Formats: sequence, structure tokens, C-alpha cells
Amino acid sequence: MKFFDLLRLVIGNLSRRKARVALTAVGVVIGTAAVVILVSLAVGLQQTATDQLYGIGDLTQIQVSPSYGGEGMVVGPGGGGGGGGGFSASDEIKLLTNPVLDEFRAIPGVESVIPREYIMSGALMKFQKMESYVNVIGIGTNDVADLGDSAEQGSTELGRGRIVIGITVPQSFYDPNMRPGQEPPPPPELFDQQVQMIVFKYDSNGNEIRKNIALRVTGVLKETRGESDFTVYMPLDQVKLLNEWSQNRRFNYNKDGYSMVVVKVSDVDKVIEIADQITAMGFQAYTPQSFLEGINNFFIALQVIFGGVGAIALLVAAIGIANTMAMSILERTREIGLMKAVGATNRDVLAIFLGEAAGIGFLGGLGGVIIGWLASQAINVIAVAFLANQASESGGAPLSLVVSTPAWLPIFALVFSTLVGMFSGLYPALRAATMIPVLALKYE
Amino acid sequence: MGKSFIHIVGLKKHFEMGGQIVRALDGVDVQIEEGTFTVVMGPSGSGKSTLLYLLGGLDRPTSGEIAIEGERLDQMDENALALFRRRTMGFVFQSFNLVTSMTALDNVAFPMQFAGVAASLRRERALKLLNQVGLGNRADHRPSELSGGQQQRVAIARALVNDPKLILADEPTGNLDTTSGSAIMHVLSDLHKAGRTVLVVTHDPRMTRFATHKIHLLDGHIVSEAEYEAAALEAMSVE
Repeated sequence: MKFFDLLRLVIGNLSRRKARVALTAVGVVIGTAAVVILVSLAVGLQQTATDQLYGIGDLTQIQVSPSYGGEGMVVGPGGGGGGGGGFSASDEIKLLTNPVLDEFRAIPGVESVIPREYIMSGALMKFQKMESYVNVIGIGTNDVADLGDSAEQGSTELGRGRIVIGITVPQSFYDPNMRPGQEPPPPPELFDQQVQMIVFKYDSNGNEIRKNIALRVTGVLKETRGESDFTVYMPLDQVKLLNEWSQNRRFNYNKDGYSMVVVKVSDVDKVIEIADQITAMGFQAYTPQSFLEGINNFFIALQVIFGGVGAIALLVAAIGIANTMAMSILERTREIGLMKAVGATNRDVLAIFLGEAAGIGFLGGLGGVIIGWLASQAINVIAVAFLANQASESGGAPLSLVVSTPAWLPIFALVFSTLVGMFSGLYPALRAATMIPVLALKYE
Repeated sequence: MGKSFIHIVGLKKHFEMGGQIVRALDGVDVQIEEGTFTVVMGPSGSGKSTLLYLLGGLDRPTSGEIAIEGERLDQMDENALALFRRRTMGFVFQSFNLVTSMTALDNVAFPMQFAGVAASLRRERALKLLNQVGLGNRADHRPSELSGGQQQRVAIARALVNDPKLILADEPTGNLDTTSGSAIMHVLSDLHKAGRTVLVVTHDPRMTRFATHKIHLLDGHIVSEAEYEAAALEAMSVE
């Protein structure tokens, strides 16, 4: 039997039982729509989550911390030195000294290695009547662009007495003398302004000693939704001097190492591999990618679970198809006998009934995909409006979408529902195909 | 002389019904030549329909040989039987067995789908056959819009559609009035005259006037016409 003839016969047979086919297909419609909506929801959640996480850092960066060995034992700078001959490999103290940084630089695929330090004593920044405790990081390069950031205003270049700030830094400024109930002042415009930075230390009697530095904001960074948004960048040397002042001792990076190093990799695909290499060297390497990978795995699991819930509805529909086909075959027993009498092979009969079952699955799948897609769009409109309201109240970023239907999903759903139909029809169709012709013809 | 067109030796068909073995056919030998019109007579339960369905490969014998043109039906698998039916035989049933949702034309053309005939050719051939049985003007009617006699003619046209050598008819006039019945017999007779081998199963004695050969069946055995008449008379005298 030719495929086109089979197709026409199947369509003809289905269309002569429209009501029953439609009722059976409704089950598939519901199942498929459930799969489409739920998987779209899971995909949408994943996109939303990764969108929000987008700022967790440049995906080509690996943040490396020293390993102080032991069970979480923290050894202060200068406490370890280069020794540790008696330690086992896992307990070994690994410091980020300059020779180690050179080792990192030698790893193929590493673009640059940039050490960074916090101001240990904390820093208060003052501008006019306003002030803010800011996150100050000294970096071992004279251009913040080396960390993957770019300038919104001014330049990314650092120099003595020059700082580059993240875009949300001005928003953290407040007026300490503001009376309760008073309208807070707008965030200050800091670009190209002179600001004061104050660092603290305490003498042996507990008295506070302040050190005051004048700095000029020469650059504001573009938003990354990451750490750099709320960070003030300074040259590493200047931070080192401030730390030496506040800790009352000198730092030797060749001996004590840096507290953190950023390793920038040229190729995104090599990040995990290089991070693993650095971990193998005994350091703690963190990359946003490994975090993203975990998140993605979670969402794939969520998609499977959601898809599975929808698949239960499809399973119920499958039983409906099997039932309809079994009934149909009983009613058409004589027709099956006739088909065999006029020369239909068992395979022809099997193909016809499998085709009808698959047809019901396909029709239901088509309806389900359309309804599921429309419902997803509706959920988007309603939920985005609702969540935007919530976001404006709580101050979070509004979501752009909640449900997202990837292109593969409707195709997959359609193929799957057709296969479900075919599978459900397998047993009834096999029964039809193997009927003894004479019994089928005499069936009352 | 070579083997006959239909060659049946020691044919038995037993089946169980209500815990008892029913010997529908119990050792039947039949030879039928090509181009004959054979009528199989017998009361109900004599095994005449069973013979026809076995001959048509729609049922399997318990034992014995069935050969058509030297091909052993009893040794064929399902698939080979289907192909053999398609090529060699046309069936006419008592209850017509038309597909009610299809037009007369589609019913006639239906078997050609399985033979893989092109759609345009199917239509052309079906229309020609409908004309041949005098229903050219009813091609687009559904079975429910046709009389019993007309429906049986559609069925005959369908039986002819693959140009079979052998026409097997099971009580073709059983559901028809006398006039329609004799018209159908004439159609079958014409097919015989055109060179086909026709085998009709009936218990209607009027059919015999078209027959070139007669087979009488009683309780699964072939009997002579004289024995058959005697048994019929005996049955009447009991009544």
C-alpha cells in the first residue's frame, strides 16, 4: 500500500467518526498542553534565573584564593611562609605569591593574572555632607578594563589618587545628619569629583586613628549586575600601603601572597578546565561557570519533572486512545475481514489502524501545542504585569518574561503525542491485523 | 491432462463448539476446471460456506490439500495468502460487505489501494466496472442510497476490480428478492461466459440452471445428486 493512499484512507476513516476522534483527542490536547506549559515555565524560570545571575561575573574569569590547608584552618598572612615540608598534599598551605602567579600565567589559555586586595580596615568615603562605607578593591593592573569592565563615564584607567567606581556606588551615599522623616537627598553625582576616603586603625589603648586621603573619581563603570557595580577600584600599591599602615606591618607578596587573584581566560570553553588545573595545584578556584552549570542542571531536572507531570496527563490520554481504537476495531471487525478478503495484508491492516491512532495523537498534539502556546503567552502577560507590580513595591528588577517556549518544544510535543497515539494503538491494531478473516467476516 | 484449476484432496475442517467437535468438512475431494460455473448446494450446516472460505484462503483447513493453479493454499503464510487473494480471487458475500461510509465508486476502487494502483487508474477502472454492472449513474451514491440488488452489483464490481480468474460467491442472492436475485445470477453468468471461473455457494435450487457443474454437500461430505435429492425428500417427509 502506498504511503499517500494510506494517509488518505486514515484521514477518511478518522473524519467519518469526527465526534469520537475529537473527544479522544481532547485528552491528548490536555496532556500536550500541560507538557508545553510546564516545560515552558521551567525554561522561562531558567532564563529568568540566568538573566539575573548574568551579573555574577565575567564568565571568562576564575577567582583563585590561597589554600591554608587543614580543616578550614585560617592562617594569617606571614604565618605560613614557603615551608610546610611535613604536610601532606591536601593539607599543604598554598599561597598566591608572585612566582605562583607566574605559574598561572604559563598555563595555556590564560590571558592575564591580576591580583586583588581589600582594604582590611574598611573604608568610609565622604562627599560633601554625604558618606558611605564602600567596598574598596585594589587591583594589580592600571586598567579596570582588564577585569572585563568598561566605562560608562570617564575612563577605566587607574592611577595614584584616581579611582574608578561602580555604577551603584553613589546610591549607597547617605546623609548621617539627616533627621527622621526628612526626604533623603538624591545620590550624589560623583564623576570627576574630589572625594575623601577615611581608613581607620586602633592603637593599643583602643583609640581610633584616622587617615584621610583625597581621591578623584575619574571613571564610572557600566552596569554588570555583579560585584563591580558596588565596588571602588584603586591601584593595588595604594591599597597595600593603606593596609600596611592599618596593620602596622609590611607585606611581602613574594612571601605572604595575595588574598585573591583573578585569572582571566581567553576562551570561555576552557574556563572549567583551567579552573580544575588550578584546583589541582592546591588552590581554591571559583568560577561563575561552575555555579551556572549547577544552576542549569537544576533547571534541566525541573524541566524533566514538569514534563513528567504533563506526561501523566498524556498517559491518561493514551489509555483513552487505546480504548477508542479497541472499540473502533470491534465495530469494524467485518470491515477488517473484508479488507483481508480483497487482498490487504496483515501489515496493511496494522498500518491503517496504527495510522488512525497516530492521527488522533497528532491532532491532539496539534491542539495541545496551540493551546499550550497561547496559554503560555497569556501567563506571560498576566504574570509579568503582576510581578512588575511586586517588583516595584519591593524594589527588585522587574521580570521580562516568566514562561518561555523554546522552538524545539512544540516540535517535540507534536512528535511525542503522535508517538503516544501510535503506541496506544499498537495493541488494538495488532489484534486487528491478526484477525482470522473468516471469523472477522462472520462477526455480528 | 494436467492438474485441474482447483484441486482439493482430503479436505477436513473441524472446530470445537460447545464442547463438541463439529466436522464442518470431513474429507472432501474436489476438482474444478478453469472456466466453469460451479454451484455448491447444501442445506445450512452442510459445510458449503466453509468450503468456499477455505478455497478463498480466508480460513485454514484442519487437514487436506487445497491447490489453485498448482499453488498450495494450505502451505502459504498469511502474507502470501493475502497476495494470492488479491491476485487471483474476487469475493461476493451474502450481506454485500460494502463500506457504508464510502461511495459506490470508492467501494469498488478500495481493493486496488492495497495493490498499489495509481489513484487515477483506480477511478477509471472502478467506473468502467460500475458501468459494466449497470450502475454507472450511481457511482457517487453511498450503499444506504442503493437497493439490495444494486449493492450486490457494486460488490460484484468490487470483486472484479483486480481482474481475478476466480469469483467466489457466498449466497449472493440470499438477501435479495427474486427479481434482484436472478439479475445477480445473470451478472455472475455473464462473468462465466467472459471466461472466468465462478463458484457459487447457495441453497437456492434455481441457481443450478446457470451451472456447468454442481457439488452437493451433506454433513461435510460430497454426495451424488441422487443421494442429495433422496435426503431432501426424506427431510420433507419428516416435516
